[in-house]
Amino acid sequence: MIEVEGVTKVYGGSGGAKALDGVTFRVPKQSVFGFLGPNGAGKTTTIRILATVLEPTEGTVRIDGHNLREEPIAVKERLGLMPDEVLFYPTLTGMQHLLYYASFYAIPRADARAKAKDLLERFSLADAARKKLKAYSHGMKKRLALAQCLLHDPEVLIMDEPANGLDPAGMRYFRDLIRWLNKEGKTIFLSSHMLSEVEQLCERVGIIDRGKIVAVDTIASLTSRLAVGAPTILHVAATGISDTAVEALRAIPGVTNVEATPVGVDVTAEAGSDVSAEVSKVLVLAGAALREIRAEQRSLEDLFLALTRGGGP
Amino acid sequence: MNLPGFLRGMPQVFLQEFRGNLKSVRFLIMALVATLVIVGGAYGISGFTAGFGGGARPIVVWPHAAVDGSGNHIAVAWVSDGFGAPLARRAVTFANMTTRNLIGEVTTNAEGFARLNVGNASEVLVEASLGTFENSASILWGFVEPYNFTVASSQDDLDGDFALDDFSLHVLDLAGDPVAGTVRVNGNVTGSLDAHGFLLLELSPGQWNITLDVAGETFVTTAYVSEGGELPFFTGPDFVLLTIASLSSWIVSIFAIVISFDAVSKERVQGTMDLLLSRPASRTGVLLGKFLSSFVAVALPVTLVNLAGIGAISAASGQAPTGSLATAFVGYSLLLIVYYVFLMLAVSTLVKTSGTAVLFGVLIWLLLNILYPIVTFILSAALSGGDPATQFRINQSAALANPSSIVGALIALAAPAALLGTGGGTALDASALGAAAVFWFLLLFALALWTFQKKASE
Repeated sequence: MIEVEGVTKVYGGSGGAKALDGVTFRVPKQSVFGFLGPNGAGKTTTIRILATVLEPTEGTVRIDGHNLREEPIAVKERLGLMPDEVLFYPTLTGMQHLLYYASFYAIPRADARAKAKDLLERFSLADAARKKLKAYSHGMKKRLALAQCLLHDPEVLIMDEPANGLDPAGMRYFRDLIRWLNKEGKTIFLSSHMLSEVEQLCERVGIIDRGKIVAVDTIASLTSRLAVGAPTILHVAATGISDTAVEALRAIPGVTNVEATPVGVDVTAEAGSDVSAEVSKVLVLAGAALREIRAEQRSLEDLFLALTRGGGP
Repeated sequence: MNLPGFLRGMPQVFLQEFRGNLKSVRFLIMALVATLVIVGGAYGISGFTAGFGGGARPIVVWPHAAVDGSGNHIAVAWVSDGFGAPLARRAVTFANMTTRNLIGEVTTNAEGFARLNVGNASEVLVEASLGTFENSASILWGFVEPYNFTVASSQDDLDGDFALDDFSLHVLDLAGDPVAGTVRVNGNVTGSLDAHGFLLLELSPGQWNITLDVAGETFVTTAYVSEGGELPFFTGPDFVLLTIASLSSWIVSIFAIVISFDAVSKERVQGTMDLLLSRPASRTGVLLGKFLSSFVAVALPVTLVNLAGIGAISAASGQAPTGSLATAFVGYSLLLIVYYVFLMLAVSTLVKTSGTAVLFGVLIWLLLNILYPIVTFILSAALSGGDPATQFRINQSAALANPSSIVGALIALAAPAALLGTGGGTALDASALGAAAVFWFLLLFALALWTFQKKASE
């Protein structure tokens, strides 16, 4: 659905700053694609290019088969943009905003009004429909931002930090909404700092750093790749672990470190070693009351830190 | 409505922005200021200048003391314009000279005469008005008339040549009716009284004996016409309109700047630019929508105010300005709005904040309306070697490099030749001015379009 090939963006002419450098990725139809990167990595520039706000210096962007450079209007008709900063015209009401934005699409006025009313109700903004935007809270503006990008029923939604600045209930609301939109068949390009959100919502992610894509794949595939070559850590919950038991654990072949924790010990073994059965046996024989042995999973956060500047010194 | 692709988004942006402009406080303030300056100025200047210096007075009351068969005093006023054309249906008041109490009011007949029986009153003040201009005269009885007619005379500068060389006579018999008669100037028969008893003579500088022959009686008076040298001070609707056009160009350009300075920058400041540009609209369409919304928001009140200004001049001076000059004034004001709106759209796209846009707006206005004219005036004076005609030409040529001055020159081009040198006329021919006007239009349009295409999203 979204195809980005070799996109480069240079600000300020040929000698200017290169914000994107050969960015390439694909977002399958009806998927939720997470787009991650540290501040200044090029996320917003990528989003503004996808949303047809910026033109790439080089490279090709296709949305639903339409080339952004050659058919910008066709691309615009197929996408809805929810920008990070949801600032609107302060003197317009919520309803006026939706009607103004709807007027750009081939939606009859009566249908646009009905659609706007429906969206305002769906996003719990019906009571504020006739209030000016300066009276809206941050959460209300976020919901209106989502409503405006759904007005024309676009196939692709580009969302920049949709849950940014929301309270836990608001974040959950948006998470559920994104799942529902995905079920409705929307392709969602989701940029977020909240890795837990991305982990819960996205099948595939792209990670960008210093203007270059450093990884694009499913989260499972990326984390398993990350795990290859990394030491195995077992989190052991047990009571009555004696010094003798700790020494016995250290003596297990492949174990490189044993550290006491408030609930028991963490056992670190060489990469590829499966020492969990041996650890269990040693502790039971040493008279410890074993409750749980859990191998540490590699998280998206580990992946993010490992692949971006966040993982560096 | 199916628009070409490059215009997509124009109607939507136009409607949205136009509504916003009409509701804005700055629009109301500028419309009010424009009304006060242009309409108020037109009315005030017309009334103010009508009583000064040269130029034809719009209304003249010729007073005559007559007596009817019963011995009653008949106050007679013949009302005409400065050139002796009778003014019908004008209200004429007759009042006691000492107490100023109104004796009566009479409307002039088709021949311009108003007559009132004032009984045995010996001093009557007669007065008539046209617009804001009033003219009054006194009528006295009690003298033994040496002739069987009464003479009222006036020496004016009707043609605006800075000399009081237009000598008018109005003669009635003692019953208050026109008489036939001839006029000699230094002995040479020069003309005859018309059917209303009026004659206008244009004299050369010098002293002249004016002799009036009526029914065998001879009346002699002397007229003196100076060599001139009076300060040129024009009056009349065209001169007032030219003066107003200068004031108007300042107000109109400020109006255009005030409405359009943040047309683009506010989208950036509000954070709405990305949402707007992601809509299925072309950037040309968005820019033209913004242009039209500012242009119409300024052009509508300015055109109404300009027309009202012309109306005020006509009402105050009793005479409408020349049609071509009035049309040029209204039409070229729209061109001035176009120039400034395009210029401010380019500035508004380039700057990051509305505050910077305001600053640039003020600087541009000062440069084009104050600094540039002063600098070119000084340079033209230095380069002309003291020859006023050369200086005028240099100054006018320099106007081609300034869109504000071009509009002023185009309006001056439409002014009657009599106003040359007082704001009317130009040393440039129409084709050069027209080419410069089109050039500036294309340049500023291209500048606004290019900056918006390239810089709107940065």
